[in-house]
Amino acid sequence: MDILSGLAHGFHVATTPAALGMCVLGVVLGTIIGVLPGLGPSATIAMLLPLTFKLEPAGAMIMLAGIYYGAKYGGSTTSILLNVPGENSSVVTCIDGYQMARKGRAGPALGMAAIASFIAGTFGVVALMLVAPPLAKLSLAFSSPEYFALMVMGLAMVVLLAGDSLLKALLAMLVGLWISSIGTDLFTATTRFAFGQVELLGGIEFIIVAIGVFAVGEVLGNIEPEEPPAMVPVPKGLRNLLPTLEDFKRCRFAFLNGSVVGFLIGVLPGAGSTIASFISYGIEKAVSRHPEEFGKGAIEGVAAPEGSNNAETGGALVPLLTLGIPGSSTTAILLAALILWGFKPGPLFIQDQPALFWGLVASMYIGNVLLLILNLPLVAVFAQLVRVPSYVIYPLILGVSLVGVYSEGSSVFDLGLLALFGLLGYGMRKLDYPTAPLVLGLVLGAPMERALRQSLMMSQGSLSILLRPIPATLLVAAALLLAIPLIRRLNAVRVQVLDREQGENP
Amino acid sequence: MQAIRRILALALPALALLVPALSHAEWTPTRPVDIIVHTGPGGGNDILARAVVTMMAQEKLVPVRMQVLNKPGGGGAVAAAAVYERKDDPYTLGFITSVWLATALTAKESKVTIYDLKPIAQLLREPAVFAVPADSPFKTLKDFIEAAKAHPGKLKQSGGSITSRDNIIREQLQHATGAKWAYVSFPSGGDRLAALLGGHVDIMVIEPQEAGENVRAGKLRVLAQLSETRLPKWPDVPTLKEAGFDVTPTPQIRGVVAPPQMAPEVAAYWIGRFEKLTHTASWKKYLEENELEPAFVPGEAFLKSMKETSGELREQFQKAGVKVYR
Repeated sequence: MDILSGLAHGFHVATTPAALGMCVLGVVLGTIIGVLPGLGPSATIAMLLPLTFKLEPAGAMIMLAGIYYGAKYGGSTTSILLNVPGENSSVVTCIDGYQMARKGRAGPALGMAAIASFIAGTFGVVALMLVAPPLAKLSLAFSSPEYFALMVMGLAMVVLLAGDSLLKALLAMLVGLWISSIGTDLFTATTRFAFGQVELLGGIEFIIVAIGVFAVGEVLGNIEPEEPPAMVPVPKGLRNLLPTLEDFKRCRFAFLNGSVVGFLIGVLPGAGSTIASFISYGIEKAVSRHPEEFGKGAIEGVAAPEGSNNAETGGALVPLLTLGIPGSSTTAILLAALILWGFKPGPLFIQDQPALFWGLVASMYIGNVLLLILNLPLVAVFAQLVRVPSYVIYPLILGVSLVGVYSEGSSVFDLGLLALFGLLGYGMRKLDYPTAPLVLGLVLGAPMERALRQSLMMSQGSLSILLRPIPATLLVAAALLLAIPLIRRLNAVRVQVLDREQGENP
Repeated sequence: MQAIRRILALALPALALLVPALSHAEWTPTRPVDIIVHTGPGGGNDILARAVVTMMAQEKLVPVRMQVLNKPGGGGAVAAAAVYERKDDPYTLGFITSVWLATALTAKESKVTIYDLKPIAQLLREPAVFAVPADSPFKTLKDFIEAAKAHPGKLKQSGGSITSRDNIIREQLQHATGAKWAYVSFPSGGDRLAALLGGHVDIMVIEPQEAGENVRAGKLRVLAQLSETRLPKWPDVPTLKEAGFDVTPTPQIRGVVAPPQMAPEVAAYWIGRFEKLTHTASWKKYLEENELEPAFVPGEAFLKSMKETSGELREQFQKAGVKVYR
């Protein structure tokens, strides 16, 4: 079945009243879940699974998929307004989004997040439709050596997140790497840094550290001074609620960046949406004409990661629907749902179930449009949140953080960890350590170590396995990235010497 | 008149004695029941628990709501502790997998292990097969073993953690045949399959349901199955014994446990309900669709078989160099 006829068939399936209803339900639910920190799409989909038995599979799949990509739209809301990541991959949006909100630009930040999500999300669906099977085959060429090199390049981006002090950024990154090593080692079943605590045997959940360091740390930092720094309220007028033409011009590359990077990383089963957001952010900063604005409220710093985590959903469906391989916990549940309904995702899935596949693809187009229509007016509503006085906002943030973390594992121990990381975040703020590198280290540490050890197991201990074309290229890119500060320093010295020479010989 | 009075005088106390006896025999739940699982939402155990909850409701086996409570962490250690804490609560159950047995042996930090809990029943066994890519030179398991003997350490198998069933069967086969091949751990089944399909490893142990579609599409070849008798969906694939390897794989099971001081009649109730479940049509359909083997074993017999399996695991772990603490 060729693409156009497939798509036509798909729209036929997806535009029945029942299917449209499921789509609306899914995207609305997804947005709400995304806004609420802690409760994620994977938990929601798992909880709704029993209910979906009564429904028709195509409709149910459309709804569950709606929750999946809808959550990526909603995740940016609390990230921007409260510095609380609503969803794991929204943590990168906190960096610039929250700074924009503090400057009174919450409206444009939220609006741009929605628009970038729409553009990249739609790109992801188009790409899924056009290149799914051949890309799936290519993704199989990516194995542990390639993942290792990709993660090293991701870590090299710490250079771009460093701000003023590279040394402090590196230290923060090392702490992040250390935290990611806590738990039971996969290869030898030894426990590392569990300090005798049963609860640490499985490692520390990412969201606990992210919410602790970002949100709780921020609140602790702000309640300390006599006059807490007030958030500048969004000025009145529709113009101030949405991104300006200038903003759109600045984000031109970010849209492309987010879409392509997000989709490609989504296709790789071993890399997730958080990694995609970081890499997209890093690339955006690297090619920007004003990199010093990043971290202080650059709108591209919101558009790139937000777009990226939406395009990633389209990408993640590629290995799921063409090979039956889930790339993340959410796609794993979608796989379980498909199996429960009696479908068998694999290489023959698109062929055997054209109605389901194309119906899903068509519904994703519709869903992205619905989400844009849903989220843009909500910007006006959410932007008013910054007018709420700090004595309401800060307890709100703390409350939302506590509930969000507790809903993950129903564990009071987790709340203790949250407090601990909140103190860490507070300390880092006081001592002027950037927090993004810590999160970067935390996200990449464990997968990177695993990938290296798997690679060495595959090559029986020889590092030459990393000299295959893809890993070699990525490692060279990483080395170049790391060399940038060195080159800048050399350049600065060179300019100094030249100036002095000029001074001596006018 | 006297006779009637005498009869009543005897009958009424007798009836009064019967009442507590009757109420003891038929305990039924009146509050919602928690099923504690050791994975997050969407993990294998979680999905099974939710499916069981749905089936119990559909077949009207239990008059109250059942809900799944996720207590992930430590390979079952956190969930085991959670079940243990509820001492004699009749409204708590735990779903276990063989991972709990491995954790009991290897995790020094666990304060509670599966043996501190009350066994209710084993529900099923998870079979597995050896698979290679379709373009692999190995047509039978024997081919692979021969090649592994000829080039020790060169061939690679992708699998789960070092304490998983994938590695245990490898250790057993290596020991029985003298062959040696490398083991590469991947945390998720998807990664293992991707590594195999991409040609980065040579063989893997995979659940038949995961392999099914790729076999149908001609991407995978199945060499042997790890079960006592051939599975109905794989009539042409030899078992390990039929392929010439006298090795009994350790069974990968799923079952139900309860808090340690659960009252005997409550435990009997739950054993009865789960036994009834395994006779229902929806259960049979679930097993068939997911290619699982029915293996109901109640109460004490379940405990005995777990202890036996633990003994085997302990031996295998020590041979593989994994530190065993219990």
